[in-house]
Amino acid sequence: MNKLFQEAIEKEALLATRRHFLSSLGTGIGALAMGSFVGSCGTQSANNPSSLKIPPHFGKAKSVIFLHMAGAPSQLELFDYKPVLAKFDGKECPKELIEGKKFAFIRGIPNLLGPKATFAQRGQAGHWISDHMPHLATQADKITFLKGMYTDQFNHAPAQLLMHTGSARLGRPSMGSWVSYGLGSENENLPSFMVLASGGKNPDAGKSAWGSGFLPSIYQGVQCRSAGEPVLFIQNPAGVSSDIRKASIDAINAVNQETYHEFGDPETIARMGQYEMAYKMQSSVPEVMDISQEPAYIHELYGTKPGEEAFANNCLLARKMVEQGVRFVQLFDWGWDSHGTSKSGSVDWGLHQKCLETDRAISALLIDLEQRGLLEETLIVWGGEFGRTPMQENREGKAQDFFGRDHHTDAFTMWLAGGGTKPGFSFGETDELGYSTVNGKTSIYDLQATILHCLGIEHESFTFPFQGRNFRLTDVFGKVINPILA
Amino acid sequence: MKQVWLFLGILAAGFGGYYFYDRPAELTVDYSTQVKPILNKNCISCHGGVKKQGGFSLLFQEEALGKTKSGHPAIVPFHPEKSSFIQRLHSQNPEEKMPYQRPALSPEEVKILTTWVKEGAHWGEHWAYQPLQNPSVPKGSWWKQVLSFVGIQSGWEQNDLDYFVRDAQKTQGLSPADKASKAELLRRLSLDLIGLSPSAQEFADFDKDDSKDAYEKQVDRLLKSPQFGEKWASMWMDLARYSDTKGYEKDDGRTIWKYRDYVIAAFNQDKAYNQFIKEQLAGDLLPNPSESDYVATAFHRNTTNNDEGGTEDEEFRTAAILDRVNTTWETLQGTSFGCVQCHSHPYDPIRHEEYYKFMAFFNNTRDEDIPDDSPYYRHFKEKDLGKLDSLKTFLRGQPAQVQKEWNLMFRFVEPKIHPHWADQFDNGALADNKYLAVRNSGSVRFKAVPMNGKAELLIACKNRGPAPTYLTIRQGTKTGPVLARIKLDTTLQDKYAKPKGQWVNGWAYAFFPMPSLPGKQDLVWQFQNAKTKPDETTVTIGFWAMLPRVPENLRASEFHTLAQRLISSAPEVTTPVLLENPSEFTRPTRVFTRGSWLNPGPQVARDVPAIFKASGIKDRLALANWIGGKDNPLTARVAVNRFWEQLFGTGIAETLEDVGSQGLAPVNQGLLDHLAYQFQYTFNYKPKAFLKYVVMSATYQQSALVSDKIREKDPNNRYMTRGPRVRLSPEAIRDQVLQWAGLLSPKLGGPSVMPEQPDGIWNAPYSGMQWKKSDGEDQWRRSLYTYWRRSSPYPTMVSFDAGTRDVCLSRRIRTNTPMQALNIMNDPVFIEAAQFFARKYPELDGKTYIEKAYQDMFGLPISAKKTGALLQFYDKMEAYYAGHPKETLAFLRLCPDNTVPAKPSRLVAKTLLANTLFNIDESINKP
Repeated sequence: MNKLFQEAIEKEALLATRRHFLSSLGTGIGALAMGSFVGSCGTQSANNPSSLKIPPHFGKAKSVIFLHMAGAPSQLELFDYKPVLAKFDGKECPKELIEGKKFAFIRGIPNLLGPKATFAQRGQAGHWISDHMPHLATQADKITFLKGMYTDQFNHAPAQLLMHTGSARLGRPSMGSWVSYGLGSENENLPSFMVLASGGKNPDAGKSAWGSGFLPSIYQGVQCRSAGEPVLFIQNPAGVSSDIRKASIDAINAVNQETYHEFGDPETIARMGQYEMAYKMQSSVPEVMDISQEPAYIHELYGTKPGEEAFANNCLLARKMVEQGVRFVQLFDWGWDSHGTSKSGSVDWGLHQKCLETDRAISALLIDLEQRGLLEETLIVWGGEFGRTPMQENREGKAQDFFGRDHHTDAFTMWLAGGGTKPGFSFGETDELGYSTVNGKTSIYDLQATILHCLGIEHESFTFPFQGRNFRLTDVFGKVINPILA
Repeated sequence: MKQVWLFLGILAAGFGGYYFYDRPAELTVDYSTQVKPILNKNCISCHGGVKKQGGFSLLFQEEALGKTKSGHPAIVPFHPEKSSFIQRLHSQNPEEKMPYQRPALSPEEVKILTTWVKEGAHWGEHWAYQPLQNPSVPKGSWWKQVLSFVGIQSGWEQNDLDYFVRDAQKTQGLSPADKASKAELLRRLSLDLIGLSPSAQEFADFDKDDSKDAYEKQVDRLLKSPQFGEKWASMWMDLARYSDTKGYEKDDGRTIWKYRDYVIAAFNQDKAYNQFIKEQLAGDLLPNPSESDYVATAFHRNTTNNDEGGTEDEEFRTAAILDRVNTTWETLQGTSFGCVQCHSHPYDPIRHEEYYKFMAFFNNTRDEDIPDDSPYYRHFKEKDLGKLDSLKTFLRGQPAQVQKEWNLMFRFVEPKIHPHWADQFDNGALADNKYLAVRNSGSVRFKAVPMNGKAELLIACKNRGPAPTYLTIRQGTKTGPVLARIKLDTTLQDKYAKPKGQWVNGWAYAFFPMPSLPGKQDLVWQFQNAKTKPDETTVTIGFWAMLPRVPENLRASEFHTLAQRLISSAPEVTTPVLLENPSEFTRPTRVFTRGSWLNPGPQVARDVPAIFKASGIKDRLALANWIGGKDNPLTARVAVNRFWEQLFGTGIAETLEDVGSQGLAPVNQGLLDHLAYQFQYTFNYKPKAFLKYVVMSATYQQSALVSDKIREKDPNNRYMTRGPRVRLSPEAIRDQVLQWAGLLSPKLGGPSVMPEQPDGIWNAPYSGMQWKKSDGEDQWRRSLYTYWRRSSPYPTMVSFDAGTRDVCLSRRIRTNTPMQALNIMNDPVFIEAAQFFARKYPELDGKTYIEKAYQDMFGLPISAKKTGALLQFYDKMEAYYAGHPKETLAFLRLCPDNTVPAKPSRLVAKTLLANTLFNIDESINKP
């Protein structure tokens, strides 16, 4: 096969289908990245000297792990401590706060709901973190908070789409696709954008949250499955060993080699490379997805149990993936929608359960990345798609049986760590009730611009021409949140 | 000269700025092809439809030549030395130099712009907006034509289009390839026209046929095949963003497959393309629309719906309308219109408010993002058709309007007033975002409901408890005059329904007389049921509607009972359709400031953008007529470009989605215009005649073999120097494998099916939907029929670039990925098919099997080298599995036909070999 690869390199100049596609679509970074697209397909490593399509002038992060708590966790029980809200617990919400506002379920005048968790200041930084997250509390000095986040979408699916694609409507590429399009993969045997879901469900936005939109489909996120094969169709059929598979790929490529000599179509050579790559993925993906070989102290640290569909396992997998050069790892954990319509959906007991499932693993991820020297080059993002109201939800105009909060767009908290962010820092502040942001207001687009910035991508010039327009992740918005950068 | 200019300027202004005077012949620089590309690339992002820095924009002529903020025009025609537009290109001052803070233009570009100004800065129109003309066929010198005519020297060309292709090739010093072999030709033709590979028999028949018109006979056979419609419907599904689900969150199901059947039938009937468009855009507005006309309008009901709890229906209704506007432009007009939602078009001369004028055509359909996809056509069960006839008989003699409204109610149950119309909830709410749920003493208001004298109230309700709920309807306010007192209880339901006392669809549908009130009224509905607990729902309302009251004798007859029974009867199937609002429901359309529906601006009336110089288009039907009419410069061009792309892999203008000035210019505009003209005028928009014209050309029939020299000069085959050897669609890749295996079901049309799919793919929240493998032949239907769920499309479709159908997709960008390799190698569908295939050749030894299999699949003998490679693999497999009985059985068990033959290791080897053949280039490419 070496000879073949040699030939492939020589024919690289002829690998023109995509080149043409690129040159025709426009110039700039997009074209630059797409020009090396064949490389990121893994045709041959010689063609892929540096997978970085954009020189990392200012980016400290090489990869991103986005921990999305799907359903939107309550900032008021976790990080945004509001003692004044506690004082007004059970009182009617001031009219001026809700006048003209629309909520997903709150109707009429709801009552305020004080924090249903105990808070304390943690670490040197003195971050307020509630008892729901005792492990994370020990990592406070690694984190930078964004307490003034806001969005304009108060329903899950559109809000998640906005968070991940920069548009509340279906059809745009996701952040991970943009990033793999721009930066490629550091490991040609693994997809550059991988997705892990826990909590028993996919997020409300569905596959579109990691779709490639109008970018070529190679940039879509590859979802790793917690049951069955780790990636769809990666396992050979029963009775077919790896050697047999190798033999069949050799046969396919030998036939294609002949075809190539006949027609000289560069796509044929590219395809032969893809079959080789598929074979390599068949061992590299299960390897990266196998946590059973991790030492006991790592399992102890994360609280992982091999073979389970669990957020903790996914955190450990995420660490393994970025270690192996995967560019963007997207985690979704389902079940954070604490409306108070059930015990598990309450902001006290229910939210606490979700924290029990995730807290240890998240702090383990921070510890583990740091001890491997990877935290500086790995950006961790934690959050939901919006926040929760300082008011008790009163769905259909009646009181709920459990403490619960409705969807809230005006203020919520997210946090980042590593990847060039300022540790032990907090940006943005909400009013005394936690209703609105009073300073340090940051939008979803600002967050996206900042994530791209950490990766060394300038969000305003990182575009892809489609339908006669240069599209970008941040649409026409977004400003890098400079104060949180180290 | 100045005076002339002044005169022209006045004239231009007088024509609203859209007067394009002819370009004098002596000009050396052309605006559209030379100037506009430079402006688009370098200037227009700051001086265009989005930004107008310094008050200067290059989008519209009058803006470009008008005064800027400086008080002077930036372009002074005939005077580059007075034009700051030119002077600032040369400036050394970084604050003045243009393009601002960006690399300077090349000397060549500067020269073009300077000459352009010097020659008078004549404006031009983008090629695609110019009227379609019949370009003369470049047949070369007259003597060649004469010789050709008398048959002395017959050239390569088979028909007129070939002359355009050849002409363009000559300019590049290129020449066409040889004719493809018969087998290659038949496989290409078959995949292109019906999406399937020829059978072994079809290959053999064609090979034996030595008649002169042997090829043409194959073309005609394939055009007549019912599978023709399936193949071309596959293309249309992406454009129509067809899906069996609604998109957001739980991504629940939607029954809309009859639309797919409509598209298949339309292609099979060779429906004229402009008629096809007309029915889809405005079938409901045709005189006496047929069932098929209504179903056609489902084209624009393929928009996504959001049923998520707490969503604002108006937000997603608006989103659907915007999508209809964008889809109409992209799929039918090849114009990216989405940009204009927020501001004037950045590159093409379309203004912001023109987007909303166009949106006004679509903004008055009855659909309102309702979870049940209302309004929908009710395809009645056979047994209910009699009821409909009787009801029509009852109504005979009533005023036409009365008949019309009742018939609308029977067929569509429209116009419904949905619960989201309600406000001022008191002890009541929108339950699950769908129903009006109220408790004892609850009340709601319906504001400004059109009554227009209608005095028959239809309510769909569920009374929750054993005791009746009393509904009082008041006019205006909670204390206003009482219009009706109504008892809602279980006796409301159809007394003829069997078994007795059971709810029909869980809902009771009942009529109540109301006083006749004029115009629009506020109604307050108050509910009393003292027997329910304070926090219990006493009644839920699904919808209500007003109808013209029929005379008392008719009311007293069976008419109402029958009407109630028909309205409550479950139809055989339903299809969401477009239904224009009755006039009293008309919605005003407003400009959305910066594209946001929350910032409505001034109201606008229906119109198409001024650039098209079409006025007086009144409604959706007139719009559809204009799109399919002879004055539309885009429709035929965009259509033939699409058809061409299906056959050749790339459009003549590569950007199918955008033929505007920012799209790629056609590589051969003469060819595109020729084809468009032929399609529109010679073939009267008939797809079959047009496709026949193209596939009969010499261009189409070329071999894919090409010399290195030509490949170097034309690496992407943009000049059609060879056959289009491009990767097949995922549909074709799966379908042909099923076909080879003898599994493919020939069933035409019908509901979507669920073939084999690994577990755990469907995982949407709050959804009880399950992927349930279809029984029998339904698991092996053509891929077109595979159930399409937007949040999780079928894996093979995803791997092979099919998109999600959230929005329309004009072209699938072909990629080449390891996931595709894994898909064909390991997907159980392909393994199962391989075994079925292998079982067809039980007797053959390895070598013969390889030769026969290849011959049957591709109609060609396999080369010795390929046989050698495959035989080596085959022998290795047979030897291995002969020594591994456990693996052999495990593998054979993957197939439903798991009878174990005498030499099981041979079957495994043959199966693995078949799967290898499924993976090779011959299989996944067009020959």
